[in-house]
Amino acid sequence: MANRVKQRMVAARLLQSLPILVLATFIVFCLMQLIPGDVAVTLAGENASMERIEQIREAYGLNQPFLVQYGQWLGHAAQGELGTSLLSGEPVAQTIARTFPNTLLIAVYAVLLSVLVGVPLGILAATRAGSPLDSGIMGAASLGVAVPNFWFGMILVLFLALGLQWFPATGFVSPREDFSGALWYATLPALALCTNGIAEVARQLRSSLVEIQSSQHVRTLHAKGLSPARILWKHGLKNVSVNLLTVVGLLFNKILAATVVVEAVFAIPGIGSSIVNAVLQGDFPVVQGAVLAMVVTVILVNLCTDLACTVLDPRIHA
Amino acid sequence: MNKTSNPQDQDLLDVNGLAVSRRTFLGVLSGALAAGTLMAPGALWAQPAGASLLRVGANANPSSLDPATGGSGSDHVFLFPIYDTLVTWDFDSLKAQPGLAERWEFTDSKTLVLHLRQGVTFHDGAPFNAEAVKTNLDRSRTAEFSNIRSDLGSVDSVAVNGEHTVTLHLKNPDTALPLILSDRAGMMVSPKALQANGNRVDRKPVGAGFMTFEKWNDGSEIVLKAFKGYRGDDKPALAGITFSIITDSATRLRAVMSGQADLAYHLDGRQKPLVEKMPTLHGVVGSTVYCYQLYLNMSRDTLADRRVRQALNHAVDRDAFIRGAMAGSGEAAYMNLPKSHWAYDADTAELYPHDPDKARALLKEAGYADGVTLDMRGYNDQSSVQMQELLLAQFARANIKGRFRTGTIADMSAEYFAKKQGDLLLSAWTGRPDPSLSYSLMYNQESYFNAGDKAPPEGFAEALLASRSSDDLATRKEALAKVQRLVMEDALVVPLAFRESIVATNDKVQNLRNNLLGKPKFNNVSLKG
Repeated sequence: MANRVKQRMVAARLLQSLPILVLATFIVFCLMQLIPGDVAVTLAGENASMERIEQIREAYGLNQPFLVQYGQWLGHAAQGELGTSLLSGEPVAQTIARTFPNTLLIAVYAVLLSVLVGVPLGILAATRAGSPLDSGIMGAASLGVAVPNFWFGMILVLFLALGLQWFPATGFVSPREDFSGALWYATLPALALCTNGIAEVARQLRSSLVEIQSSQHVRTLHAKGLSPARILWKHGLKNVSVNLLTVVGLLFNKILAATVVVEAVFAIPGIGSSIVNAVLQGDFPVVQGAVLAMVVTVILVNLCTDLACTVLDPRIHA
Repeated sequence: MNKTSNPQDQDLLDVNGLAVSRRTFLGVLSGALAAGTLMAPGALWAQPAGASLLRVGANANPSSLDPATGGSGSDHVFLFPIYDTLVTWDFDSLKAQPGLAERWEFTDSKTLVLHLRQGVTFHDGAPFNAEAVKTNLDRSRTAEFSNIRSDLGSVDSVAVNGEHTVTLHLKNPDTALPLILSDRAGMMVSPKALQANGNRVDRKPVGAGFMTFEKWNDGSEIVLKAFKGYRGDDKPALAGITFSIITDSATRLRAVMSGQADLAYHLDGRQKPLVEKMPTLHGVVGSTVYCYQLYLNMSRDTLADRRVRQALNHAVDRDAFIRGAMAGSGEAAYMNLPKSHWAYDADTAELYPHDPDKARALLKEAGYADGVTLDMRGYNDQSSVQMQELLLAQFARANIKGRFRTGTIADMSAEYFAKKQGDLLLSAWTGRPDPSLSYSLMYNQESYFNAGDKAPPEGFAEALLASRSSDDLATRKEALAKVQRLVMEDALVVPLAFRESIVATNDKVQNLRNNLLGKPKFNNVSLKG
């Protein structure tokens, strides 16, 4: 019974995401049209005449009304055909397959670090609420939220890559070819990305735990004679787990977006840098395809978060 | 808050028939977290292997790896190792030297005979011979998709005279051709590969160079492997070259500093002190023919008067420009060739000393006693904007006003050169192996880079033709000196500064030398240890 409800929920959510996909790609397509610049000019090479530029515009269908261009792209995309890069001729699907795992690895790594460091800090602060330790942790968390991750990335490079030479300063290896090597390359970028995450997880966890601890049922548990540790682990954390999971889900999406900047700092061939390059050169099939991949990921992450929440708290039914 | 469930509840999440209890879910999650922490330190680890693999930090993704279809000057660094050229050049002076053509001669002013090296094969085993040269030259000068048709514009027909002799019949005398054949037009593509791939090899290059193509991941890396048996050499100095494409120059340099790359090229002047100061880095620095300059549209009202153009040349303080906008790394440009070039003319270089008073006087003479206001164009990257601000300050002292409209390189170039908007454009001339080519491309009336389509001064065409009619270097130099003088006296351009090529290497890289073209060649490079 419950399973059928969940299946229906998953199906409904996936259906709901279709208009989001169309809208997101349409907005990006519109923005690409608004950006000054002309990919036909780039394609025509260094000393092309206006005639040559016109020819190219015609050959690539760039002279058609933009709704027609978008419609064509959407029609092909619906059939799983994302097209090829205007500039390099590489199939867009191949670009995504090559770059997205790198970005995902860094994002997942950063989220894991955020949770691993943020959760203990949050618990520590909550159990000692009002103490100097609590103020210290929360102060550091405020700083963590405020620090720009590209700047922190530079600092990490300076000390850990150029100074101590523990980690590489630039580049990446594909996780599919060499997973441990990829983790090594991903460490600094993930560290740079996780400061905001750690701070956010710690702050959210602390405030929900403090709220729970002052609730009536926790007071009853104390009165029942349960040890504080048992109350925290068995009742406190269970109650805040839904909150925490939601925060982590949102965090993943935020970190995914932030990889665009951090990839530039570390020269990582991820999907973020592909998008930046493609936007600068007006290579819209690549932009569209990469944005589509990111939107799909965000939708799936949100769906998984919601499903996990219903497992953690059976009162939630989508 | 009231909790209604307890851990024993078998509340299931059923996705694709996989049932997960809450406890399992949490267990798996914490297991994954633990595995993550354990694995992270365990991955510290093998440094990249392969000592004789040269790892290069490159500044741009190539536009194409087919010499005939690419359009960007930054492609050559990737093309040179893959394709041998018919002619090569001397690194310091850019004088022509033998390449795939062992020697050549002009039997008369309109006939060039090339004698080809024997026993050369392409990467795919196809023989390099006269037929292959004809196939390549005919493709480059006639194919609809070729971007280098104009380079070979003087060639009327190509004839095969035997297995290793080719004759080029020309429409007009053109002694610039040998050096033109050291560039894209001289890069020989395997005819077999052309036939197999519909006459284009944009992403599957096959040449006769010392490196064979392995793979190209866009915007990320290009991998080349040594061509075993190149010129009968069975022990190549390098096992391969891996280019990592890193567009940001600071990141590119960091890649060398922290050991992910052996060398990084096309660095900024600002980075030169850092390269020189770091004990682990070596700088290979030298002059290039890459010239920052103001292109002038001489059909616009104000700039039609040559006194205004001369005023611009006097208004610029080139040494201050190099100090302020190029971190002191560059050579002042008073014409389109640097001092070390074989055709440099010292007299022409004296024409425009920095003199704001003279500039104002010239403007007054031209009827602009209150100064002129110009509509200027430029690019929007940080270093271009810095140059623009510096120029505006220098112009102000000579009563020249106006502002720069900026945009991307492709857009602003198209706006200025193709759509003919704006009075002038701050850009650069990347240089050509033969100077006569630079001059004809920039100043001929019908040339793309002459945005105003203004006819060059009297005597220009004759002097240019004379420079292309002799293959004696002294005679050519004399003719080119006249060309340069005519260009600068008439102030067809405001040359600013020659860019220095700055390459940073670690201490393993041996025998890397600067060349005047500023496009690194790795033919003699080896790695120590």
